[in-house]
Amino acid sequence: MRSKWLLVLLVVALAGVLAACGGGDKATETTTEAIKVGAIFDLTGPTSDVGKPYAEGIKGYVKWLNDNGGINGRPIDLRHADYAYKVDQAEQLYSQFVQEGVVAFQGWGTGDTEALRSRIAADQIPFMSASYSANLVDPKVAPYNFVIGTTYSDQAIIAIKWAMQDWAEQGNTGKPKVALVHHDSPFGKSPVEDAKAFAEANGVAFMSLPMPKGATDYVAELTKIKDFGANYIIIHTVSSPAATFVKDARAQGMDAKIINLNWCADEFFIELAGDAAEGVYGVQPFTPPSVPVEGHKIPTEWAKANGKDVDVHFIQGWYTMDVMTAGIRKVVEQGKEVTGPNIKAALETLTNYETGGVTYPITFTPESHRGNLGSRVYQVVDKQWTQVTDYITVEP
Amino acid sequence: MISGTFHTSYRSDMALRRTWIERLRLGLFIAFIVLFPFVVRKPYPIFLMNQIGIATIGAIGLNILVGYTGQISLGQGAFMAVGAYTAGILTARMGVPWWLTIPIAALVTAAVGALFGIPSLRMKGLYLAIATLAAQEIILWVVTHWDAVTGGVDALVVPPPMLFGQPVNTDFRFYWVIWPLVGLTALLTANLFRTHYGRAFIAIRDQDIAAEVMGINVFAYKLLAFGVSSFFVGLAGALIAHYRSIVTWERFTIETSVLYLAMIIIGGLGSISGSLFGAAFMTLLPAFLTNVGRALQGVIPGMDELIPYLQQASFGLVIILFLILEPEGLRKIWQDIKNYFALWPFSY
Repeated sequence: MRSKWLLVLLVVALAGVLAACGGGDKATETTTEAIKVGAIFDLTGPTSDVGKPYAEGIKGYVKWLNDNGGINGRPIDLRHADYAYKVDQAEQLYSQFVQEGVVAFQGWGTGDTEALRSRIAADQIPFMSASYSANLVDPKVAPYNFVIGTTYSDQAIIAIKWAMQDWAEQGNTGKPKVALVHHDSPFGKSPVEDAKAFAEANGVAFMSLPMPKGATDYVAELTKIKDFGANYIIIHTVSSPAATFVKDARAQGMDAKIINLNWCADEFFIELAGDAAEGVYGVQPFTPPSVPVEGHKIPTEWAKANGKDVDVHFIQGWYTMDVMTAGIRKVVEQGKEVTGPNIKAALETLTNYETGGVTYPITFTPESHRGNLGSRVYQVVDKQWTQVTDYITVEP
Repeated sequence: MISGTFHTSYRSDMALRRTWIERLRLGLFIAFIVLFPFVVRKPYPIFLMNQIGIATIGAIGLNILVGYTGQISLGQGAFMAVGAYTAGILTARMGVPWWLTIPIAALVTAAVGALFGIPSLRMKGLYLAIATLAAQEIILWVVTHWDAVTGGVDALVVPPPMLFGQPVNTDFRFYWVIWPLVGLTALLTANLFRTHYGRAFIAIRDQDIAAEVMGINVFAYKLLAFGVSSFFVGLAGALIAHYRSIVTWERFTIETSVLYLAMIIIGGLGSISGSLFGAAFMTLLPAFLTNVGRALQGVIPGMDELIPYLQQASFGLVIILFLILEPEGLRKIWQDIKNYFALWPFSY
């Protein structure tokens, strides 16, 4: 019987603490001039391998900013928690942070970004995340979403542009054949239509193929690609299936050039694919730390001082927060009240915002939230991403 | 002196709430539900209550199938998806009024549920679980690949439900859509198991061969159970579609199916109050742990990185503890409390 009372006590305690938290007294604590920003991270869920460094980047940027005077003296109060890539949890945390008075929000994946899209528009909370789906860039359908990475569609188009260029440089005539293999999900399928349209408009033979979920090898897919005669293979998935795919392709002696889009053009891919990674190309909107640029200095130094590892996802998180902060800073400097609609308006005036060479200059307008129109192409040489081209851009 | 509860009329004997204390408890509960949003007046607790309400409807639906009829289902997430997508598509593409799409979505889900219940004729237990797992995968595959209907890749944006020119899907307003439906669902289910249909379900659960010998058409009743169960599950799905104004497949994965099974096991199989307890528990526990985690941020230096893992570990630990200490679920704990006070202070 005693154990049962223990359980009862536990339930009561649970209810009590929740009621206390639900009270949300924190929302009215405006003695400091902190600007509240909400953030959800995947630290324990299925995408935590890349979610963790991204989260460290966002948190690191905020700490660095606050240690260096904040935004004209006002610090950012980052309200953050792990949501383990669960949509329900994302909504719970979002609702809680909005009640606590956040004026902008950092999301993470496709799942939470899509699920919150209608809600952030209703609540007027500017939202950025690491989901670069092209259907988030039109303010008519997603008025409060801002996309700071080159969209998946644009990345695929950049990959095809580079493929045509490279094909001609190699002394070939005619047009190359391009295959796009992608994650079998909305995230993976998102660039297929746009890439196909672009390829067809340029006379490039194009095929696309989903990578079956949970596959242990991609021999069947590679056979289809071989039959098609692809000269370039674009991979749009996450690092682990991409590494398996590349290993299989190497084992089969495929001579097509492989181009990874951003979620598999990272350090994890090199680690997982090992020797097979050598020579693989990547379209990556964020300059990896192995290609030092001006914008890497501050995050790298901060990370060294604070014992954090720096990889491309850390940089990605850091600069996503940096661009959001640029919008907030404009509002503060204009002397306006820091609210969601004001931050949105300020972000929409951001023109050619420089990130020290980490990304193509960012521009948002009231008509388009497609902030980033260019990416470089990189290549794995000696287990490191090295730069191959300068920015290849797409039409605005 | 009366030494027990004696019913002197059939009417009082047949009542859903047979004693004044039961009626009082129900009255208090209803009063709590009605007053809650006015007292707290904060969006986050109301949002949590809405999540609990929707989860309760879904859990009652699943409990009809698993707890009362004894047919295991891992297809909960997919059936919710059917409800959500039906409601969403009808509203967004065909302009059907949102309130009308809710019953339609529930009926469509009932039909789909009954269809995927057909294997239950030949399969029991774990084998049926695998068959419903197939339903989960098939339905989600259709949802993500049937671009022309579901929009496939893109999330389905549902126009906000309007009433008298005002959007209904704010946390406060939608509370008044969800909780009356929770009440209705509970009432219908409670009465279902007072009819011969419900008793047939229970007979099938307890011993299907005996049920058949008694003249119960096991196949028909199993399909009916799948249908009735899916009806409520679809209702929950349709509510999600209108509440969140957007339908994405990632909400309805196998994880959702497992979460709902966990709800009814922790809450109590074959019990309506258990469904509510389970739904509340599985919604509030992560919220509670997250808030504890946030409160601990920065308290112990160097511990911050461990907090998310500790949260996950405590979530698992609490569930295991509850199952070990009270395998019959939260409902049984509630029962024990009631019994204790019923006899208090002379509990011998």
